[in-house]
Amino acid sequence: MTEATLQENPLLEGLQLRRTPDPCILVIFGASGDLTKRKLFPALYALAFRRLLPANFAVVGTARSEETDYEFKARMKEAVQEYGRDEFRDDVWEALADGMRYVATDFSNKEGEDRLAETLTELDEERGTRGNRVFYLATPPAVVPRVVQELGKRRKTQGWTRLIVEKPFGRDLESARELQSVITRYFDETEVFRIDHYLGKETVQNMLVLRFANGIFEPIWNRQFVDHVQVTVAESIGIENRAAYYEQAGAVRDIFQNHMLQLIAIAAMEPPIDFTADSVRNEKVKVLRAIHTPGPKSVVRGQYGRGFIEGKEVPGYREEPDVPPQSKTETYVAAKLYVDNWRWADTPWYVRTGKRLPRRETTIAIAFKKAPHPPFEELAAEGLRPNALIIQVQPDEGISLAISVKVPGHGLTIRTAHMDFLYGGAFRTGLPEAYERLILDAMLGDQTLFTRIDEVEEQWSLVDAIIAAWARDRPAFPNYPAGTWGPPSADELLARDGRSWRQH
Amino acid sequence: MAAALTSIREIEREVSARRTVPGSEAPYQRTSVMTHTAWVPPEWVEAAEDALAGLAERHPSRTIVLFPQPDEEDGLEGDVDIDVYPVGGGRQVCTETIRIRLNGPRAAAPASVVQPLLLPDLPVFLRWRGAPPFGEPAFEGLIDVVDRLIVDSTEWADLPAPYAGLTGIFDRVVVSDIAWARTSRWRPHLASLWPDIANVKKIRVTGTAAQAQLLAGWLRTRLKHPVELEHEPSDHLDGVEIDGEAAPFPPGDPPDPSDLLSEELDRFDRDRIYEDAVRGTLE
Repeated sequence: MTEATLQENPLLEGLQLRRTPDPCILVIFGASGDLTKRKLFPALYALAFRRLLPANFAVVGTARSEETDYEFKARMKEAVQEYGRDEFRDDVWEALADGMRYVATDFSNKEGEDRLAETLTELDEERGTRGNRVFYLATPPAVVPRVVQELGKRRKTQGWTRLIVEKPFGRDLESARELQSVITRYFDETEVFRIDHYLGKETVQNMLVLRFANGIFEPIWNRQFVDHVQVTVAESIGIENRAAYYEQAGAVRDIFQNHMLQLIAIAAMEPPIDFTADSVRNEKVKVLRAIHTPGPKSVVRGQYGRGFIEGKEVPGYREEPDVPPQSKTETYVAAKLYVDNWRWADTPWYVRTGKRLPRRETTIAIAFKKAPHPPFEELAAEGLRPNALIIQVQPDEGISLAISVKVPGHGLTIRTAHMDFLYGGAFRTGLPEAYERLILDAMLGDQTLFTRIDEVEEQWSLVDAIIAAWARDRPAFPNYPAGTWGPPSADELLARDGRSWRQH
Repeated sequence: MAAALTSIREIEREVSARRTVPGSEAPYQRTSVMTHTAWVPPEWVEAAEDALAGLAERHPSRTIVLFPQPDEEDGLEGDVDIDVYPVGGGRQVCTETIRIRLNGPRAAAPASVVQPLLLPDLPVFLRWRGAPPFGEPAFEGLIDVVDRLIVDSTEWADLPAPYAGLTGIFDRVVVSDIAWARTSRWRPHLASLWPDIANVKKIRVTGTAAQAQLLAGWLRTRLKHPVELEHEPSDHLDGVEIDGEAAPFPPGDPPDPSDLLSEELDRFDRDRIYEDAVRGTLE
């Protein structure tokens, strides 16, 4: 709502107007994939359920497989029923399904692309979507440039266009730049939404609020008071039949290049001057630029062997279907990073991510320096632990602060206790899924929670340097059993500095 | 039920004793976001319990429900309920409900009962059932210790006259009115009829008296000219006519009562538009 209309219309004053996106069509490329089924449609249903979608709205799914509109709708209905977070209501679904279409196209096939263009024009008339388009590229990375090109050539002059690009954006700096050059031929940076769904998570956004809306954390959020930071992105699942993708990616490209570096950027960044897309992203890219390329001794890679998860024996990575028995792909990375700026100089950031770790967990732990001279040292030395602020991104989103307290009684025994803030405990509203927030933001044209091209480039140049160093030696894989916290060398990485990974 | 607790000290002791998981020493996790107090005269007891039931789970808080019983013999009778809700990962969160009957003269000084039980540093909400007795010590004392007063003017008789008392306290406490919240679906909708609605002379509202009065007051104060009101009683806001022409229905379902109260509890700032609308009902 513009200010001019508010001046003109006094009835709008004080109304809590939720921004609703303009009428538009969401086109999902790769509609037969897992992401569409597990995340995108449940998110669209949740948005429809809360009436956050524009009244004039349509969704077109496209993929290579032949499917009728009817089959597509039935498949997505099932997906929403299975993966949705809200009760299933027929009226909400019918309203959404009414604007759903499916177009089978092979991406190398001009005819298919034409058929898609026709469908969109028809829908514009039928649904009043005014030529506005959100193109969601949930396809395998290899076909992305092709799709972008086809879309670009058929760009309509009427209405706006937004391009959501799923990760990975390229597979190294060079390919990312190539992809970017294809995109910039047809699209402006303001139209490109590179998704990193971690940024849509409530706790990640809350980290900005925690840091910049509270007066007590920011003064100690620096090298003077922080001993080190630990970032963990742990998954207990294996590669889930995605060998073809994972063999190409590995942990470093799958998680480290995007989620991990974004978490670091948000935890380390300077306060932005405001909460607009470019202010936030300017500060993030400064952090990424300041991350020192780690030497080979500061990076550890691993690959899981046979082991146990939840009491069940699971195969090693090399025994997974379609994985070559001599695969050198890493399923675990740990690194010691330095953010070389005024705030963080000499403060190590220990990061680790891996598959088949004992449990699913994403946390950022800020470990503070110990108290300078605790007078209790002789009495209760073993209980004295430095404070830690733990930001839990998943599964239970929340924040907790570890503090030392006296155990009640006559003696002086000190124990660490946690002050917990649990999202689920304080707000029972139910957290929106990351994809709901991100799809809505893209429709509204808000890029704050999307990665800008300079961030992507910085992320790749760091990853390229790590991978280049790896090319020189042969790893002794597998080096950690499934269900453990990674290879022993990861523990040594911290032990060398007299530290250890957080206890769980 | 155990014998009633007859002093604040006993109530406090009971709250901390009951916070421990039976059979273990670990206390329940408490993540409170506010203290919620409710003033519930006898005729409102049933309705109040219904609304509270849905609320505790959404807004983990300490809830203090006050039952004034001025005709009884002097004394306090309290009891404590701890409700525990699972929040995933095997963890639980608890909310505390303290019910206190204020007997005899105690009913006139509820603020002194509530103050020692407020959770420190968190906002305090007061839900006042029925029409508040403006100027009386029980009410005046309570609104000075709370941050936000929540009323539902649907519960008031002889509207719009009681709104005059409300305008007198706007500078002392932030006021939310559930009746106003119940018009929230219609207001943006009526605003969307701009500019046709700019010169409206008369509206006819089918709904509760409070809704009709507040909508008329809102239009008068925003448009800054008189708007005549015709009211057709109904339990729900079923229609608005603008100068004899029915406005189309807004999309969506009307919100349910515990959603409305819940939304009011998330809000902390003064709603100047509402305050103007209340003044407008008296024009």
